[in-house]
Amino acid sequence: MTGGAETRGSRAGGPAAAAGVAVRGLSGGYGPGRDALRDVSFAAGPGQIVGVLGPNGGGKTTLFRALLGELPISRGDIELPGRPAYVPQTERARLDFPVSAFDVVLMGAYGRTPWLRRIARRDRDAARAALERVGLAGEAGAGFGALSGGQRQRVLIARALLQDAPLLLLDEPLSGVDGVSAERIEALFAELRAEGRTLLVATHDVRQAAAWDQVLCLHRRQIAYGPPAAVLGAETLRETYGAELIVLEGGDRAVGVGHHAH
Amino acid sequence: MLDLSAPYIQRALLEMLLLAIPAGLLGSWIVLRRLAFFTHAVGTVSFPALVLASAWGIAPQVAALAAALGFGVVQERLERTRRLGGDAATGLLLVGALAAGVVLASDVFESGTEVDTLLFGSLIGLSAADVWLTALVGAGAVALDAGLRRHWLGAGFEPAGARALGLRPVLGNRLLLAGIAAAAIVAIGAVGALLVTVVLVIPAATARLLTDRLASLQLAAIALAAAEGVAAVWLADALNVGAGPALAVLGGAVFAAVAGATALRARAVPA
Repeated sequence: MTGGAETRGSRAGGPAAAAGVAVRGLSGGYGPGRDALRDVSFAAGPGQIVGVLGPNGGGKTTLFRALLGELPISRGDIELPGRPAYVPQTERARLDFPVSAFDVVLMGAYGRTPWLRRIARRDRDAARAALERVGLAGEAGAGFGALSGGQRQRVLIARALLQDAPLLLLDEPLSGVDGVSAERIEALFAELRAEGRTLLVATHDVRQAAAWDQVLCLHRRQIAYGPPAAVLGAETLRETYGAELIVLEGGDRAVGVGHHAH
Repeated sequence: MLDLSAPYIQRALLEMLLLAIPAGLLGSWIVLRRLAFFTHAVGTVSFPALVLASAWGIAPQVAALAAALGFGVVQERLERTRRLGGDAATGLLLVGALAAGVVLASDVFESGTEVDTLLFGSLIGLSAADVWLTALVGAGAVALDAGLRRHWLGAGFEPAGARALGLRPVLGNRLLLAGIAAAAIVAIGAVGALLVTVVLVIPAATARLLTDRLASLQLAAIALAAAEGVAAVWLADALNVGAGPALAVLGGAVFAAVAGATALRARAVPA
């Protein structure tokens, strides 16, 4: 059980950490005795990017659902800096819906638009600005389904930008996206970090996570949490991925788990 | 030629024009949210209830509403407990209802024409109350669509993030299903319990072939439902058949023509 000690360690940030996200002793899942995720304790302050690592079914999406308030929690508690924005995997979105890239970004303003009112002009302007930030100003009118996978991912990130949330949860945002999109997305992460937002990024790619501030390793429970240099050792990765020592992702990218582990 | 001075023709035309409003507004959501089978089932399960209503002399809409509610509850429970997949549950309830209706009807009715009317609709059977009720459901559809379209769009586009966007996907879905059930019930009088999808699904599905924008999809679906409805009244009167079958034949032909034309155009101008 590494969770407790490391949580205390990173919470030593004091008041700054209190404005970020804090999870203490969290267990939850699909009803009593059916926890999908156990003993998760971590805290991340503003301006921190946390890589969430784990195998498929390891609990990355489950953790996000818990943070979004959509998962029954059996123990523990969660402290949030406000309503988080969620960036789903693009495959979860319907490609045949009659929505343009701009329409999708505007959904980020739904939560603050009063019942029966039109979306405010300043939100429409902000939506255009968000599309520009992800490098898709020219695609505003394009149908969402007609965009490439990487472009769709960027549109969903622009939607989260419009939500203007202090905490962003991103589910495999770099999986299977093209080089241009990946570059743009990683540059955006740096900007969001500089703005003082907290990012939780689920990923399969250990090398990516190594470049971020903290790493959270999950395998149905918390294996480790802390700075990458301290956490990404052979033992932790073996525990996180189990027998799955080499994780292939997107066909062209072999994650170096095997090298660390041997 | 259509006798416009006949009160039953006037009522049928008015009914079809009013029905076009929920058909276009909610029909677009039925197509986008893939609820066509649910819509068909809501119409069909009300058939045995309509037979009983006729036997006991109660208002058919009340009986149909009870059947639709019962169907919604049983369907939701079967799906939630994972005893049966969604479509399989719908299919089971649908054939069960049809069979129960036929068995009941053999006891209740002396001839098959009443059964035909319930299943396929009738031009002369419409009352002023039917038309008023359709107008009421049309107004309800306008209000629901105005109030909930962002919930339906956001949750339908990408369900996992809907709550994070501040939407109410569960409430939105329930109200959408309730609105569809109400539209199906008022459609039964004109087109019959077995054919509610010819007005609630086919015009919107046809319009979907022509546009990629939600607002124009809904407007085109309303216009198409109205035009097809008026033409169906003429056809049904000329051939002395129910409005439902006439509309089904017309709607199917228009859909096929539009699908063919758009496919040809797509081939001529490769995207």
